[in-house]
Amino acid sequence: MGAATRRIDPPPFYGELFARERTRLPGHGRAALDRVREEAFTRFLGLGLPTQKAEAWKYSPITRLANREMALAEPTVPGLEEVSAWFGGGPATRRLIFVDGHLQPEFSHVGGLPAGVRVMGLARAIETIPEAVAEALAGCDPERAFSQLNAALTRSGAWIELADGVALEEPLQLLFLHRGGDSAVMTHPRIVIRLGRGARLHLLETHAGSGSGHCFVNLVGQAVLGDGAELLCDRLQLGGSGLSLLARGFLEMGAGARLRATTVALGSGFLRNEIELRLAGREGEAILSGLYMPRGEEHVDTLVRIHHEAENCHSDQFYKGVVEDRARAAFAGKIIVHRGAQKTNAYQANNNLLLSDRAEVNSKPELEIYADDVKCSHGATCGDLDPEALFYLRARGLAREVASSLLVYAFANEVIERMADARLQALTRRAMLERVPGGAALEAEGLL
Amino acid sequence: MKNMLRIEELRVTVEGKEILKGVTLEVGAGEVHAVMGPNGSGKSTLAYVLAGREGYEVTGGRVLFLGQDLLAMEPEERAAAGLFLAMQYPVEIPGVSNMYFLRQAMNAVRKARGEPEIAAGAFMKMLREKARLVGIRDELLKRDVNTGFSGGEKKRNEILQLAMLEPKLAVLDETDSGLDIDALKAVAEAVNSLRGPDRAFLVITHYQRLLEHIEPDHVHVMVDGRIRRSGGKELALELERHGYEQFAAAAA
Amino acid sequence: MSSTIETLKEHTSGEYKYGFMTAVEEETTPPGLDEEVIRRISARKEEPEWLTEWRLAAYRRWRAMAEPDWQKVTYPPIDYQAISYFAAPKQKERPKSLDDIDPEIRRTYEKLGIPIREQEILAGVAVDYVFDSVSVATTFKNKLAELGIVFCSISEAVRDHPELVREYLGSVVPQGDNFFAALNSAVFTDGSFVYVPKGVRCPMELSTYFRINAAGTGQFERTLIIADEGSYVSYLEGCTAPMRDENQLHAAVVELIALDDAEIKYSTVQNWYPGDREGKGGIYNFVTKRGICRGRRSKISWTQVETGSAITWKYPSCILQGDDSVGEFYSVALTNNFQQADTGTKMIHIGKRTRSRIVAKGIAAGRSDSTYRGLVRILRGATGARNHTQCDSLLIGDRCGAHTVPYIEVRNRSAEVEHEATTSKISEDQLFYCRSRGFPEEDAVALIVNGFCREVMEELPMEFAVEARKLLGISLEGSVG
Ligand SMILES: Nc1ncnc2c1ncn2[C@@H]1O[C@H](COP(=O)(O)OP(=O)(O)O)[C@@H](O)[C@H]1O
Ligand SMILES: [Mg+2]
Repeated sequence: MGAATRRIDPPPFYGELFARERTRLPGHGRAALDRVREEAFTRFLGLGLPTQKAEAWKYSPITRLANREMALAEPTVPGLEEVSAWFGGGPATRRLIFVDGHLQPEFSHVGGLPAGVRVMGLARAIETIPEAVAEALAGCDPERAFSQLNAALTRSGAWIELADGVALEEPLQLLFLHRGGDSAVMTHPRIVIRLGRGARLHLLETHAGSGSGHCFVNLVGQAVLGDGAELLCDRLQLGGSGLSLLARGFLEMGAGARLRATTVALGSGFLRNEIELRLAGREGEAILSGLYMPRGEEHVDTLVRIHHEAENCHSDQFYKGVVEDRARAAFAGKIIVHRGAQKTNAYQANNNLLLSDRAEVNSKPELEIYADDVKCSHGATCGDLDPEALFYLRARGLAREVASSLLVYAFANEVIERMADARLQALTRRAMLERVPGGAALEAEGLL
Repeated sequence: MKNMLRIEELRVTVEGKEILKGVTLEVGAGEVHAVMGPNGSGKSTLAYVLAGREGYEVTGGRVLFLGQDLLAMEPEERAAAGLFLAMQYPVEIPGVSNMYFLRQAMNAVRKARGEPEIAAGAFMKMLREKARLVGIRDELLKRDVNTGFSGGEKKRNEILQLAMLEPKLAVLDETDSGLDIDALKAVAEAVNSLRGPDRAFLVITHYQRLLEHIEPDHVHVMVDGRIRRSGGKELALELERHGYEQFAAAAA
Repeated sequence: MSSTIETLKEHTSGEYKYGFMTAVEEETTPPGLDEEVIRRISARKEEPEWLTEWRLAAYRRWRAMAEPDWQKVTYPPIDYQAISYFAAPKQKERPKSLDDIDPEIRRTYEKLGIPIREQEILAGVAVDYVFDSVSVATTFKNKLAELGIVFCSISEAVRDHPELVREYLGSVVPQGDNFFAALNSAVFTDGSFVYVPKGVRCPMELSTYFRINAAGTGQFERTLIIADEGSYVSYLEGCTAPMRDENQLHAAVVELIALDDAEIKYSTVQNWYPGDREGKGGIYNFVTKRGICRGRRSKISWTQVETGSAITWKYPSCILQGDDSVGEFYSVALTNNFQQADTGTKMIHIGKRTRSRIVAKGIAAGRSDSTYRGLVRILRGATGARNHTQCDSLLIGDRCGAHTVPYIEVRNRSAEVEHEATTSKISEDQLFYCRSRGFPEEDAVALIVNGFCREVMEELPMEFAVEARKLLGISLEGSVG
């Protein structure tokens, strides 16, 4: 099992595509950015595509998807309802809206920002602050092939910057619509977030896609939270069978910074969420919650890595899955307590409901600990609905199916309740309910 | 009367905060001293410092136990020298059976004193006897040290250890709190049966209740890290009637 | 609970007390490995043709394989051509009776506390003594034979029970299973063989004591235990090695087979030389242990107390094939100084209503690293399967590491799998409590660690439990203060 089998060379179309498209990418001609893209692409070729022999991809057959010949997606224009169906927040919520990786200025609205806040599309950022963008792209995730591919090919995304002490009270939504087309396409959105000391941001990130055309989304988000900064993040992901969404978040948190992120990855042909988090300053706190509910032939997996690098930090992972039909789910969560990160408090839970004999759940809750004065624990479970609870509900008069649906709903809802935005939460709950067998009946019976 | 414990102007700081602000106290062999005082006045701190718990910085004064510099000794050396602390919050040690723990503790102390190990038979006999005295069920002896014990059972278990280890000076830190009246009586009886000319007690409490059953020779009132007043057993009654208010005012 | 802190103390004065060498004349093959060496080993052991070929096939596979590198241990590359693959005390042939054993070897085992004789101390335990590459003695053979139980060295089994060996050898751990198993298959020299016939409950513990003595050698023993229908056997394994500055390789393979209603209990107290305080020397312990519950209602239970070796790499596993079969894994892995342990288990649930239970306790002190790595896999047909896993790690000091890497793979709806893990440091409160009752600090640590491990220690047969408790104390020496 040498290192050789953990990667394969990317197929030649990547090289051809990069050669063809590079001159059309935003910022082309700016030497610093061109160099960053060149280097990233070379690194991507060197790193290659990960096979399932690579530990981080053990349960994720990504290569099959990434090996297909794809082109960069062309812009298309959706109808308003198609977009507005995914609106979170309230009337004053600002939104950046992306359709197949292209920013749609006609639907987007980020005006009237308070002083000290900068929100713009990535292409704008490349025009106005090219050095900063080049630097951000260059500095992130050098060992991960897909991040390098993203750096080489990204042409849209968001640049969000809050100065020290500034708060954006209304949520900011990044709304992605992945429509795909007849031929296979890919997009490489990049989100850059910079929160100054004590700054506060509430972000909504939604991914939706109905199409069955192959659409490969290679998203990379990077965030730096200054000391005492706070990031609230609610995420909903729900796509069709054609959507392959690979979403990577890389976060660095300063002293006393706080993160609360809830990711509801209901399903898609292929969905993978990665969060790599560095608690670099004392007393940082990260609460990560997640729900996944793949069904049919869907695949959803989650990879979380939390680095406790400073003393007195707290992290909590709370992930749940409901897996149906022939679907596959994987969870790999790792807590790494670095030497010297004393008084760490880290907790991790992964609970799964496996509702079909053809479905599959894989869980890998991992601890890597190099400091002694710590409290770390994890628990993982997999099983069917609790027969005791089922019996109890039935003894109270509920039909078996209704009782089952109710239990699944209750199980999943525990995560959804952690979303901070009421509208997105309601929307998510409705979408979740549609995935619960007999969920519609629950509403009809007035049980919710 | 032989002097057993002598605390002189003891000053102790915990995490940068001065808790004991010059405590002076003398306990002679055969005596029972009660230390009373409101919550947070430093009683447990005093008890822990005597037993040698970490995290307490002695910034002044000294403590002599049977003429030896107590503060220079390791906790186990203090135990071997005859000091015993019945803790306010006894610690649970899962996986270690109570009986086994007691036997090993006895032998450790005996060995340090140059005495031979106690034979298994003699140990069991003594254990049964003492367990009955403090009202500990056999079943609790087989369980792990303090694990899954109720508050009252933990306290009785402390007294059982006290009875088994036969120290020269026993410090009881709020052994009465959390006990119902029967348990209180049992504990008091056990303590009284252990009283003798060579053994002294330092009984920490903030109720007079316990002192109705264990009659002290001296009562000290501790407020804000200092002994504010000392007297005979009548002082406890006075405190019961008037509370600690008067001292609190004086301390301010 | 008969052991006392007292006996523990007695042992703590001498660090690794099994580190002596025995001056016997040994016959060793020159270092290096090729087909010729394998043929020579096979010829020296007068093996049948099929076994020679089997070894050669394994060797050819091994040459094409790479050392695994996923484990969380680091060590300089091993030069497999620098190892001598066969070492044996010079002796014309295996002694006919226990009285004919070389007195030096006899003294060795006496010093190790396991005298070669059939009385007193070890009454009730039959022992196979393996010295470097060969088995030198087996006690109580005749008594066992009366019940039809075969307990002998694997070399004897090849000669006397070829049909059994041929049927089962490599049936649980195939030749090409992994790098170290392939190496073992090519060069294994001796080890123990057990066959318990139908319906027989083995009346005594069977035990093998492994001793590496010669320098520059590796030890590659192979153990095969077959429990026929309705039988029961409890097997113990112990080991020691002299203190040497060089690292020595130990790559064993153990295969267990339990047929219908059979039960095998396999206990190990692993105390190979761990290296010195600076991390110099010590055994590299790369071991493949696997059992298959082939029969219905069969049961395999692994218990291990791992305190030795510079590197430990082992995952005693159960393949739960028979319906209603049961797999268990109880483990204590204690590392100190520069030791590294990457150990755990695999529970593969194939049959219906199969159950498994894992209790793993890791203790890391000094600058050591202790990793639990485990796999619980529930296959599609394993209706009603159950697993419960509990992994706890205890850290002593802030220079060590404790890691947990569980893999859980479930493909059956009705299965229930539960995994829990905790990591914490040794409690200051508990330490103080014990010390204020008179325990010196090291004893207090040993006491608390023993308590932490009790669930596992209780699974050990009595004779071993006492030994193991002492070992924990000794291995923790110097970890506090
Ligand atoms: N470990 C500690 N860290 C910080 N403060 C402490 C600690 N232990 C005790 N204290 C403080 O010291 C004071 C005295 O506590 P204690 O001795 O427990 O009082 P008492 O036993 O009389 O109720 C209290 O104000 C308490 O909060
Ligand atoms: Mg108190």
